[in-house]
Amino acid sequence: MKYLAMSFLFLVGLAQAKPTFLDSVQRLKWDDLEVVWIEDDKFPRFTASIFFQDGALSDPMAGLTQATFDQFTAGTSKETQRQLAEFFDFYGANLKHTVTHEYSVLSIQALTKDIKPVMGKVCEIFKDAKFPEDELNSYVSRSRSHLKNLVTSHSALADRIFRSLSLEGTIYAKPVEGSLESFGRFTSKLLKDRLAQLNKTKKILYLSGPAGVKEMRDVLRKDCQWSHEARATAGPLKKPEPESVIYLADVPGDANQAQIRIGRYLTYDEIKGKSDQFQFLSTFLGGGFTSKLVQELRVKRGLTYSAGAYVSMQRDYGRAGIITFSKNETAAEAISIIRDVFQEVGAGVVTPQEFEHQQGHLIGGYAFGFEETTAFLGQIMQYDHQGRDLEELVNFPQTIKKMTPATLSQADLEVYPWDRMTILVLGDKSLAKSLSRIRPVKLIRYEDYL
Amino acid sequence: MKTLILLLLLAGCSTGDKRTAATAPKPKTLADSINLDVTEAKLPNGMTALIVPNNKLPIFSLYLFYKVGGKNEVPGITGASHFLEHMMFKGTKKFGKNSLDFIIEGSGGSTNAYTTNDQTVYYENLPSGQLGTILDIEADRLANLNLDEDEFNKERAVVLEERKMRYENSPRGQLYLAMVQSLFKDTPYGSAVIGEIPDLKSVTRDQIHQYFKRFYAPNNLTLVLVGDVDTAKAQAMVKQKFGGIPASPTVDEAHAELTEEKFQSRVRADQVVNKKGESPSPIFMLAYPTYKVGHAKGYALDVLSSILGSGKSSTLINEYALIKKPVATSVYAAHQQLEKAGFFFIGGELVRGVKLEDFRRDLKKKLAGYCETEVTDKNIQKIKNNYLVDLYAGLDTNAGLAQFLGDRQTLFEDWRFYKTELELYEKVTVEDVRAACHETFKKPSVFVSVWNKHK
Repeated sequence: MKYLAMSFLFLVGLAQAKPTFLDSVQRLKWDDLEVVWIEDDKFPRFTASIFFQDGALSDPMAGLTQATFDQFTAGTSKETQRQLAEFFDFYGANLKHTVTHEYSVLSIQALTKDIKPVMGKVCEIFKDAKFPEDELNSYVSRSRSHLKNLVTSHSALADRIFRSLSLEGTIYAKPVEGSLESFGRFTSKLLKDRLAQLNKTKKILYLSGPAGVKEMRDVLRKDCQWSHEARATAGPLKKPEPESVIYLADVPGDANQAQIRIGRYLTYDEIKGKSDQFQFLSTFLGGGFTSKLVQELRVKRGLTYSAGAYVSMQRDYGRAGIITFSKNETAAEAISIIRDVFQEVGAGVVTPQEFEHQQGHLIGGYAFGFEETTAFLGQIMQYDHQGRDLEELVNFPQTIKKMTPATLSQADLEVYPWDRMTILVLGDKSLAKSLSRIRPVKLIRYEDYL
Repeated sequence: MKTLILLLLLAGCSTGDKRTAATAPKPKTLADSINLDVTEAKLPNGMTALIVPNNKLPIFSLYLFYKVGGKNEVPGITGASHFLEHMMFKGTKKFGKNSLDFIIEGSGGSTNAYTTNDQTVYYENLPSGQLGTILDIEADRLANLNLDEDEFNKERAVVLEERKMRYENSPRGQLYLAMVQSLFKDTPYGSAVIGEIPDLKSVTRDQIHQYFKRFYAPNNLTLVLVGDVDTAKAQAMVKQKFGGIPASPTVDEAHAELTEEKFQSRVRADQVVNKKGESPSPIFMLAYPTYKVGHAKGYALDVLSSILGSGKSSTLINEYALIKKPVATSVYAAHQQLEKAGFFFIGGELVRGVKLEDFRRDLKKKLAGYCETEVTDKNIQKIKNNYLVDLYAGLDTNAGLAQFLGDRQTLFEDWRFYKTELELYEKVTVEDVRAACHETFKKPSVFVSVWNKHK
């Protein structure tokens, strides 16, 4: 039984587990293709995640890479969109993709016995996708309509606007998903050219499944014929200086709840070597029911249903933020409390119990990151992308154990300096009065961010 | 809840098996192939415990299924089940105020809960070694829940915010709520599980306490434990912690009062419900009443819903979305089966400029035709293949398996019912699906839309 070959290491304790842990990750070279494989025979299925070292930063217009993957199965010279969909659906094959500014991933999940037909078809599309005009026009029409209707989800709309505001002035400001303006500029040729670039881009295959997945090697060599050119990192990164205002995005109707986003962009220098400290900070502030913000906002005051904190790190930049909401009457109070929490944690006003509690939370929860092989592979993918040694993943519990309250305070001061926070509130414009007691309010139109 | 389903009828798409029919062993059915190593214990106080060992990682998942939900509420206390779910995290006699989350998260675990029309489920994912503590917590909050008045009122505000988030500030939430309110009007399924706002504002701590005393009892509870545990020791611990808690004398009576007849849709003619909401393009749902979970025809309707509205090759997506001039940005179909009734629904979002009424008529007109043109052997095989892949995904984690078993034990009073389900799915034929399709689409329906142009 090889299900999670690395799993037994936990039974002998994490401290002694290091060598076995790394042994479970097989790094292979299939011709020019780098492969990372974890053998998993719990079920007769496989997941193949093709990592492309290229993402939306290469887009001449917002959303082009996303559209290329969205329309990947829109047709080849031999088959229509419907025929391709019938093919994959018949095999129960699931194709998903993720596009970020820095990289893109296409994941294929299917039964192991169907590796040859499924992966053969994927390769066929890589070589022969036509992005037919009719399908592309339909896609553009649907995408536009859907984006105009984003106001039906205040949370998703707030996320989109906040991303744009907090990244303004950086090379990451263009939305990965595209915009109303950019959709109209897509052509079949542009998408074909983009796919051709991706065919040549350096790729790494992250693979989980039983030993039978090795059959994929021949399919990829014969049918995909990829090349793997490394792509240059993007140009110099600017450091935006946010306006000291609260952006208030007014939405139609009688919104009686305000979406709140607070955070900022982090440069490479700010995130370098700080991943574990920042993960601890996020957990401490908003990583569960016992986190500082949930306790202050929800448990003690009943101001919200949820509050979360994140520091998401890419290879060259990061983003930090707080996500919550509150009723109109208490939105300003919620923001003030978040500010106070930032300042208290930065000043070291943290009890030993609070600190040790969150250490226990992260260390004890470590094993859950390996329960699903695909999640484990996802972690490895991120480590590889960020150029981190897997030893850091192995040593994560020890790293957290060594942290001190001073480390936490320092991380808080670095990530959440209040005067550099971008603040967005999405809700009713009547909020302006109460919010202006915290900072000047700048009204914005949500439509300008679609 | 849409039951998780699967089938192994993969012969049609098999390419890897080179055995000939003459030499191949008799194929196993899926029911033969999936055998779960479950130890079942029934305590004298009526509690059921299911334990599945899995020592691949030093972690486990614990799920507690209480058979109480929106269906058990009456006007005046709508939302009681969900409110109580929130209060269950507020502390117990032994563990004190607001300490449960700290104990669980402090050891590296996570916890949460959800409330449906039919059940309230609490779950924890924890590292090995915490079993005794978490069983202690679960037993103590069942026996000695701390319903502090101040905490109760603070949590009322949180629940009201959650309600606003899910419904008042969400056109999609408004749409779903309007659909169930119309389709199940005057039945216990005809309101929001989270509760009506006036009830949430007026319900008292004592009302919730009475509700708790009636429904939170071992004879209304299934505990499922999956992961790195020693079965015999775990079983002994469960008996030790929960064995002394008395059964509820009235819970069986409460369930008996809820006859199926009370849950059947009263819709006798097609209804069109227009709700004004902040959606610039219309979003819609077309719903038909069907059958309670476990009904034989329900399996055929599950297959139908996937044929019509699941995946890029499905009928409705290709009819309305993936076309030259799309009518809808998204469209889907689903079959939802609850303990006492079910419903089949089609939903989606229209492209701006499309006339809602024209779309509604067109959709209604085409549905019966699909029963013949779309229900084919090939499509049924396709859906069965997809179910298998979905099942694997669902059973990949301790939590997934715990939920799978707990759902079946709670809804069918037998976790082994998954075998019956597999057999029923295996037997679904074109004729079954066509018959269920025609029968369903002849029934009176409810068409609900939310749009900012409605008055």
